[in-house]
Amino acid sequence: MAKVTSVVESRERCAEAGWFAYDLLLDQPMDRAFIRSLKGIGGSFVFLEMLKNPFFKLEADHYLLKGVQGNDFFRLAMHGDHLQELERVKTYLSELAGESAGGPEP
Amino acid sequence: MIYLNNAATTWPKPQCVQNACIDFFHQLPAGQFRSSVDTGKTDVFENCQKKLGMLLGIRETERIHFTSGSTEAFNKLLYGLGIPASQIIVTATEHNSVLRPLYNIPSIQGKPVIVPCNGNGRVLPEELEKCITPATRAVVVNHCSNVTGCIQDMEKIGRIAKEHHLLLIADISQSAGCIPVDVDGWMADAVAFTGHKSLFGIQGSGGYYVRSAVPFRPMMFGGSGRDSSRLIYQEENYEYDTGTQNGIGVAALDAGLTYLLEKGVETIHREEQEKMRWLYEKLACLESVILYGNLEENKGPVLSFRVKGIEASDTAYILQNGYGIVTRAGLHCAPLIHPWLGSGRGGTVRISISDQNTWEELEQFAAAMEEIDRMAAAEL
Repeated sequence: MAKVTSVVESRERCAEAGWFAYDLLLDQPMDRAFIRSLKGIGGSFVFLEMLKNPFFKLEADHYLLKGVQGNDFFRLAMHGDHLQELERVKTYLSELAGESAGGPEP
Repeated sequence: MIYLNNAATTWPKPQCVQNACIDFFHQLPAGQFRSSVDTGKTDVFENCQKKLGMLLGIRETERIHFTSGSTEAFNKLLYGLGIPASQIIVTATEHNSVLRPLYNIPSIQGKPVIVPCNGNGRVLPEELEKCITPATRAVVVNHCSNVTGCIQDMEKIGRIAKEHHLLLIADISQSAGCIPVDVDGWMADAVAFTGHKSLFGIQGSGGYYVRSAVPFRPMMFGGSGRDSSRLIYQEENYEYDTGTQNGIGVAALDAGLTYLLEKGVETIHREEQEKMRWLYEKLACLESVILYGNLEENKGPVLSFRVKGIEASDTAYILQNGYGIVTRAGLHCAPLIHPWLGSGRGGTVRISISDQNTWEELEQFAAAMEEIDRMAAAEL
């Protein structure tokens, strides 16, 4: 399972107006299993698998995730007063990566 | 990557512009009244002013002043004219480079009168005329919408402005270099332009023009290289080009203008219209695509659309990260136009071409959109 290697502020400020947007960089391209596992974060999940490069979006009241299968990054955007969601998503992904490797990360 | 975000900034630049930037470092800097290295020659600033005059239809080229772009140009223009915002009419198609100075420059700030546009971004001159009151002193018109590509009827608007003794200020940021502009023919009193869009200069270049008969106070004072003993200016001897100018930016702009004058703006406009017509026809066939404009009214190199069931920002994300096609999503810094377009809070997806885009790139975009449309029709 892909692991988050770094988090960078999105340069596309206009595209996520009023939101704080970050790109989460991964150690490997996202596959279908990784994308589907994101559903556990919570929110409405859309996965457009008919596209040549399938697009996903996970959306809740105060945050959204989106990305494209095969890319080694995805976008996380949050309303300004819910920045703690970034840590929650990172923790979730860290635990997920730990589980897939046979146990929690040290 | 296929770059279809030329309304934000053009890329790539013509080779001559790239060469001009490199050459800039191999030549002595232009004197600009501070040295004599250019004895007997006109410097790049004056050359650039003359070329801008030829391209934009401005006789008083010495009244063209360079800035970092349209935003600085409009701040200087609107401050310098000193007309309260409430006495200025603007169109619903204006960019924030006009709107924010009007709402925020302390000496003029207020709410301008806003003329509506139709669903394609067209401002009807008769609607503009209806907004004129005895208090009105100026009108600001965006020649070409950066959202829909709609080109306004500047000749007619210019006549209305003169009949009512109003100043006409034109925003030619989106049109200069790709659509014929005739500042004197429109009877415009002032214009602002940016260098890094269809004029093919680099980012950080642009400028404005103010007709000599119009009272105009500079926003900035400082070193000019002329008459250094003078500390206080009187109204008749203002200087507008203060501080060391953006030499490399003007050199690049000068090269871009050379390219445009050689190729001809009419030719570029015709070629781009042909490409835009093809794009409109392709997108109009897609059942899930909503177009904000049509071939009859929208003749600039800009097109806005949405895909039903997908946020504009998501469509742009899919195009960029799934197909390698750079577009732009959102309000495009023109917040007042969207209620008239019916495009909603998320705005539109905008594609914008330049003289440098190839047919092959447009075909790849159309193929990507066909696939997105098939998916949207089947899944959403």
